[in-house]
Amino acid sequence: MKQRILNMIWQPETFLIVLIGILLTAMGRLDASFLQWEVQRALSSHVWELAIIAIPMTLIILTAGIDLSVGSVMGLSAITTGMLFQKGLPLPLACSASLLVGIFCGFLNGWFITRMKVHPLIITLATMAAYRGMAEGISHAKPVSGFPDSFTWLGQGDWFGLPVAAWVFAVMVGIVLWMMHGRAFGVGIYAIGHNETATRFSGLRVDRYLVTLYTFSGFASALAAVLFVARRNTAKADAGMGMELGVITAVVIGGVSIFGGRGTLIGACLGVLLIHETREFVSWHWNRDELNLLALGILLILSVVFQKLLRHKQGSAI
Amino acid sequence: MTDATSTHTTPPLKRALIYLLSHRAAGLFLFIVLLLGIVSVMNPAFLETQNIKDIAVQAAPVCIISCGLMLVLVSGEIDISVGSMMGLLAACMGAMVSESRGHLPPGMAIVLTLGIGVVIGLLNGWLVAYAGVPSIIVTLGMLTALRGVTEIVMGGSWITDLPDGIRFLGTGAFMGIPISLWTALTVILVSLWLVHRTAIGRRIYAIGSNPHAAYLAGLPIKPLKLFVFAWTGFLTGVATLVSVPQLSVVDSGIGVGLELLVVTCVVVGGTAVSGGLGNLSGVLCGVILMTMISTVLIFMKLGENATYWSRAIQGLFILGAIIADHWISRQRKS
Repeated sequence: MKQRILNMIWQPETFLIVLIGILLTAMGRLDASFLQWEVQRALSSHVWELAIIAIPMTLIILTAGIDLSVGSVMGLSAITTGMLFQKGLPLPLACSASLLVGIFCGFLNGWFITRMKVHPLIITLATMAAYRGMAEGISHAKPVSGFPDSFTWLGQGDWFGLPVAAWVFAVMVGIVLWMMHGRAFGVGIYAIGHNETATRFSGLRVDRYLVTLYTFSGFASALAAVLFVARRNTAKADAGMGMELGVITAVVIGGVSIFGGRGTLIGACLGVLLIHETREFVSWHWNRDELNLLALGILLILSVVFQKLLRHKQGSAI
Repeated sequence: MTDATSTHTTPPLKRALIYLLSHRAAGLFLFIVLLLGIVSVMNPAFLETQNIKDIAVQAAPVCIISCGLMLVLVSGEIDISVGSMMGLLAACMGAMVSESRGHLPPGMAIVLTLGIGVVIGLLNGWLVAYAGVPSIIVTLGMLTALRGVTEIVMGGSWITDLPDGIRFLGTGAFMGIPISLWTALTVILVSLWLVHRTAIGRRIYAIGSNPHAAYLAGLPIKPLKLFVFAWTGFLTGVATLVSVPQLSVVDSGIGVGLELLVVTCVVVGGTAVSGGLGNLSGVLCGVILMTMISTVLIFMKLGENATYWSRAIQGLFILGAIIADHWISRQRKS
């Protein structure tokens, strides 16, 4: 019994909840207005795109992979929506096309990774440049705006008291949690992360899993792009610039091991919450965005260092 | 036996392609010559001395950093923080020498800039080798964090009053050739010596091609990794010193996207991302090709819109290099 309680305390999720609690209390002391429900709801509109992309990123990092191209896929999808809308296509069609572009980008990532047998980081580094470059090339770095209200509602409007994007996120988390929990799909992902070769020899179609995950990542990025365009009422090639860093940091802070095989989706969501509150508070209270850049970079490195230390401790105890 | 028969049955064209792709320097050289031929037929102005000189001056800092990054890749790691590092070093250098800010003597500023470069490199290397954090995570974090530090150093303004002593590094020339080219040449020669004539160089290849064997052979893996990152930091400092003073304004956006250009040059130059493989002549050709391309696009009169595609071209070149490597290894097996 004692052991079980100890185990529960040692979970990264417990740590995160305590940490978020402490941070929020401190923020409330410094600036009570920050914690008001209305303020929080308004500020939350900044995070849903990141949160949506964090779902597939968690799964990919669980397989010991990484996807650096998510921000660029967002850029390319945003531009697809914008350019097609400008050409006079009805918006539902333009959005579907941009989702297709995202799915295709993600599929291409997965295809290259499984065929070329090169580490995902170098493939997605290359496609990060290629997709962003295509977005810039197609649009000549010019923005498209003037979307109708029915579309911007997706990004700016509320539905049952929460932003539409929040509902999209909730549905996606629900589905993925259901898929992961005690189902072959979830077990397979953890197995690949623990030992890819062994998983391959045990007859699991590892390549199929990986292609699916990277395609899912492309789809989620495109979905985030559509919501982003609707929220800003502008489609521009630099949509989602630097998104990969925020997403990866959130997932890693959430206790998902960058070496694969360990971590949970709930943890990653808590990581997203932690990053979001910290970021918004720095902007809200000090109004210094460069501090955010610094903090985000350092947090990413420190959280991996911390993970290693923690793992070391656990390893030696057993 | 099977090898002999398979080479006999391979068509000569395919054999030539395999040769050119696996001897990357030769293949790239041929490609560069072809590209030069095409563009100079379309627009003879490309071959004017001034234009060639401009391209060479653009290539110099990229070449200097690539020499360092090649060793990082050979050792099996990656460094995508060099662009932000250059931005920070430029800001530090500017703040130190500017008459309205630090007003340090240029010599001291040069030493300090190189020193900061080495320190950041050491920090990267320490986190990778001793703290055990994957290099992509360390340098991705640094890519952002250093940009934040740069903004803090610059304080929202920019620096225009660089003294002549520093300006000379960027605009001066010796025997008619810009200082930056001499520096690049020196760095290449030192790198050649380092790679081919010293134990450190050979050991870096050893730890990259088979880390486990290198460990069993008792090679000092951690200090070597620390060294390659520090060396890259140092070379980024050198590149900053010879390229930034060419600009009339030092702002916080220097070096954005440089990391990608350098990685592209090194990978296109035949350096394996999995470590252990890579040579300087290939990397040099990669640098020349990648810095030439944007100018080539302009001279081919594709319109100014062509420059918007430069990032896409970089990405496609990395993918192309990966596909080429994959194809060759499959040909070798069969």
